[in-house]
Amino acid sequence: MFAQVLATEFLKLRRSKVTWFSLAALSLGPLAIALMMWIVREPGRAAKLGLLGTKANLSGLTATWPAYFSMLTMLVGIGGMLLLAFVVAYIFGREYTEGTAKNLLALPVGRHWFALAKLVVAAVWWTALVLAVLVESFALGAALRLPDFSARLAVGAVRDALLAAAVAYLLVPMVAWIAMLGRGYLPPLGFALAMLALGDVLSHTGWAPWFPWSIVPLFIGAIGKPATTVAPGSLVVVALTFLAGVAATIAQLRWADNAQ
Amino acid sequence: MSAGAAVSTRALSKRYRDTLAVDALDLDVRRGEIYGFLGRNGAGKTTTIRMLLGLIRPTGGQVEVLGARVGPGATAPFARVGYLVETATAYPNLTVRENLEIRRRLTKAPRAAVDEAIDLMRLGELAERRERVLSLGNKQRLSLARALLHRPELLVLDEPTNALDPAGIVEVRELLRSLARERGVTVFVSSHILGEIAHLVDRIGILHEGRLIEELDRDQLRAAERLYVRVGVSEPARAAALLSGAGFAHVEEADGQVRVYGAEGRVPEMARALVGAGLDVTELTSVREDLESHFLRLTGGPE
Repeated sequence: MFAQVLATEFLKLRRSKVTWFSLAALSLGPLAIALMMWIVREPGRAAKLGLLGTKANLSGLTATWPAYFSMLTMLVGIGGMLLLAFVVAYIFGREYTEGTAKNLLALPVGRHWFALAKLVVAAVWWTALVLAVLVESFALGAALRLPDFSARLAVGAVRDALLAAAVAYLLVPMVAWIAMLGRGYLPPLGFALAMLALGDVLSHTGWAPWFPWSIVPLFIGAIGKPATTVAPGSLVVVALTFLAGVAATIAQLRWADNAQ
Repeated sequence: MSAGAAVSTRALSKRYRDTLAVDALDLDVRRGEIYGFLGRNGAGKTTTIRMLLGLIRPTGGQVEVLGARVGPGATAPFARVGYLVETATAYPNLTVRENLEIRRRLTKAPRAAVDEAIDLMRLGELAERRERVLSLGNKQRLSLARALLHRPELLVLDEPTNALDPAGIVEVRELLRSLARERGVTVFVSSHILGEIAHLVDRIGILHEGRLIEELDRDQLRAAERLYVRVGVSEPARAAALLSGAGFAHVEEADGQVRVYGAEGRVPEMARALVGAGLDVTELTSVREDLESHFLRLTGGPE
């Protein structure tokens, strides 16, 4: 039965503008990073074009593959957390906003399959977005002819980006639960923004390794030390957050009143 | 629980904070019948239907649908149940056909079921159009097509003729009648308009403030269309008291009129009594109380 539910969830994505919007939004990231690299490398030409070359120069950036990959990992990790929250808010919240949740709940299908199928759809969608952005990033970096490229560096960058994307994904079942609890798009988006802000605040304290939404920035080196030093306990926190989110989402579907 | 009933509830209740939406409801819908579930807006019809379908949890009591207990997350009976709850909803960015295809997959209906449902609800010309561009009436048709798609044994329909034009209402009524007659489908249909379902149903249950206050079968429905004599008179209160005193058993006085039930053959006698008491009589008319009036009387008069 899960295969049938999964097929219907993919069918629901057909003709959805949100699919293309999310791709466009994430694709703008590498373009922005590539533009910054170009400004750093060509400050004179950038200034003539009215771009903020001076500011870019002052930021201490270097136009190299390592710097480019570092920013890419941050894009996938931090920007991705927000975009992924948007994607999941859409997948789960649309059933309430469009009034279709009630059509799913009195069927010969266990309700948990809907939660799991939607999370699988989000995972597939997210993986496709990240892969598309990685391909785009390599193409842009190559077009810019950035220096200091190596195969080892590229493999490491892809690994870090995929790990950041995976950790970001593990946090989204909580967003899914909030979408169902709040019955729409706005509560989960508000929740995701609040958690990102709280994660940022806690990142300046000793709590960063233990607060799920601080762990992604910690992991990608946006705060504190680089990824390799993330404590195993942090990964346990993220895994528990994932499991708690999945359990809460299924319980919400199964037990909560749907007075839509 | 009543064995063999398509829908059976015992002491079914639902409370929302201070509001008792459904109050100890005992209901039995027989297999193959069309049961009209009537009540004013806010009477508790939709709440009851949601409990029948497991969409909300009862505060108390039990529900059985097609012999299976309905509880949180229950799936057992729903392969054989089609339903439409309140407003018609579907995925707006999908076509009529795609919306039905989703239901087909989830109910494991055969591939041909989608086309059958489209034909049944006359949605052929709209099959490839997205739901968002449909009129309200056609959205309702799509919802009905979805409810019927897997050939259910029980149809639970909450105000199914909402948004339909008069021709559409007649069409749906005929469809439900033929489903019950030809396929033996049990139909549980709610409405707040008695006239809309009175000539369709085999039995009717009237819900008021969460309680089932009356159940009538077809014969009783006819009997409920009572005759009375409407009396226009100068002093209605005095006239009512006078007629009661003169042996007219069932006299009501309201809105400046007097109604005398069961007195169709005694109009001359009534006239003599009133005129003899010095009252000015302006009207003495035999009237058949329709079902709508009966319903309004039971549920406390016009809104």
